[in-house]
Amino acid sequence: MPLQQGSARTRQRTVLLVGIVVLLAALVLAVVLASLLTHGRHEVSPKMLKWKDRGTTKNLQEVILGRCYNYITAQHPELGDKDCLKIWESLKDAFIYKNPCNITSEDYQPLMELASHPIPCNKSLFWSKTNDLVHRYTKSNQNFLTLEDTLLGYMADKVSWCGDPSDPGINYESCPKRSECESNPGSVFWKMASKMFAEAACGVVQVMLNGSIGAGAFRSTSIFGSIEVFNLNPDKVSEVHIWLMQDIGGPHSESCSGHSIQRLKSILEERNFKIICEDNYRPVQLLQCVQNPDHTDCRLCSNST
Amino acid sequence: KWKGEGTTQNLESIVIGRCYDYIRIVNPAVGEKNCSQIWEAFKNAFINKDPCSILPKDYELFINLTLHTIPPNKSLFWENNQLLVNSFADRGRRYMSLGDTLFGFFGDFLNWCGQADSPGLDYESCPTTMECENNAVESFWRMASITYAQHSSGVIHVLLNGSADGGAYPQPGFFADYEIPNLQRGKISKIVIWVVDDIEGPDIDSCGIHSVKTLETRLKTLGYDTTCTDNNK
Repeated sequence: MPLQQGSARTRQRTVLLVGIVVLLAALVLAVVLASLLTHGRHEVSPKMLKWKDRGTTKNLQEVILGRCYNYITAQHPELGDKDCLKIWESLKDAFIYKNPCNITSEDYQPLMELASHPIPCNKSLFWSKTNDLVHRYTKSNQNFLTLEDTLLGYMADKVSWCGDPSDPGINYESCPKRSECESNPGSVFWKMASKMFAEAACGVVQVMLNGSIGAGAFRSTSIFGSIEVFNLNPDKVSEVHIWLMQDIGGPHSESCSGHSIQRLKSILEERNFKIICEDNYRPVQLLQCVQNPDHTDCRLCSNST
Repeated sequence: KWKGEGTTQNLESIVIGRCYDYIRIVNPAVGEKNCSQIWEAFKNAFINKDPCSILPKDYELFINLTLHTIPPNKSLFWENNQLLVNSFADRGRRYMSLGDTLFGFFGDFLNWCGQADSPGLDYESCPTTMECENNAVESFWRMASITYAQHSSGVIHVLLNGSADGGAYPQPGFFADYEIPNLQRGKISKIVIWVVDDIEGPDIDSCGIHSVKTLETRLKTLGYDTTCTDNNK
């Protein structure tokens, strides 16, 4: 009898042990599965606000840090004292956990201070509605700098970001468009950076405008027309050179004698700037000609075929 | 110790940043890549080794992880005219030069090397190719060039500098030694050579003469349909 009892108890204990092991295994499996499934996926809190524009760029931190180091190390070693980690932190603090419709310039003040740097005179190149062309030009001619060729602009170009009061504080799904609210992280950033870029300009400055758009080459609602023009310092800037570029084979909506250019001229003259306007500034037009080599405007007066 | 510049400061942050920049912004069509894994594979090619003993195949895993399709008819090979190529290629929109691929974008304009018996990067100095050929950077570009040529197809373009000292088609050179031998003849329909002189520069080389003639002959002998144009507009 004791033997039978013993073996029954052993069997019971075995069943119990097996049961516990199975339970533990199931728990471990559940934990592993859960961490695997949520690893890398950003938690979309159901409370996060929904907007109409694309969300924060994924891997924002790595992209911003990499661009910052690339800029100060490989491209502009004279800026070697910049602290890229601090710069990233100050960008993040400007918008993380905040309602993306309530961003102010104070939010960006630390970032602007950390990342700004002097611009050599005669090199500032402003632009409006000529994004592709102006940057192709500065890539091939490093004598000019657009905002996107400065550290701040270089880090932020083509990147988007916005926060949200709920965890994790950054919204990767969507961000507000300007039409949804003006004080959104992107718009406030670019307005402030543009203002500072204009304030830093000295000597002769250049601006590339688009003479092929119906709404006019110079518009008071553009960042150039509403912010940059009014933040040029007459004590530092002597002249403004306008390059009015028309699309090769495109509409000639406006030229240097056009209405909006007259308006720009009077605004600038009132602030004591000397203005020179050039239609289809040749060095830039040559770049346009790369895509239209057979157009009459692109014929060279040389002996090449 | 070595005659060349040391490893670029903050190399890891720069290249990981470039990796994400490429897959998120420059060319998201390449899909998801594991940038940390790519960094590890890149680093393991040259750390803890004699900096004069790095071979192109040491970068094999790195290449496998960063490889992506190069669209047909978009390959642009070049010699002695990097800035011109960059603005002409328009960051992959018109052409995709080696510097516009993920693996090329990763290392462009940077410098690196390791040291034997230490996992660290050498920030003081790195061997130049004159000091030893099998250095980390030289082998990287050899491997990248080989890969780029192997995956090119359709109409191939080559942009040469007609004002360069020593000729538009340098020998030895990357195009001559690592790219031409690795072109896949069955995938290529035509090779278009452009010889462009520097503005106000000397017209040292042109189609049909000197080194360009050598190149044209070589390509035709290999069986490629080859054309050549001077001073592309």
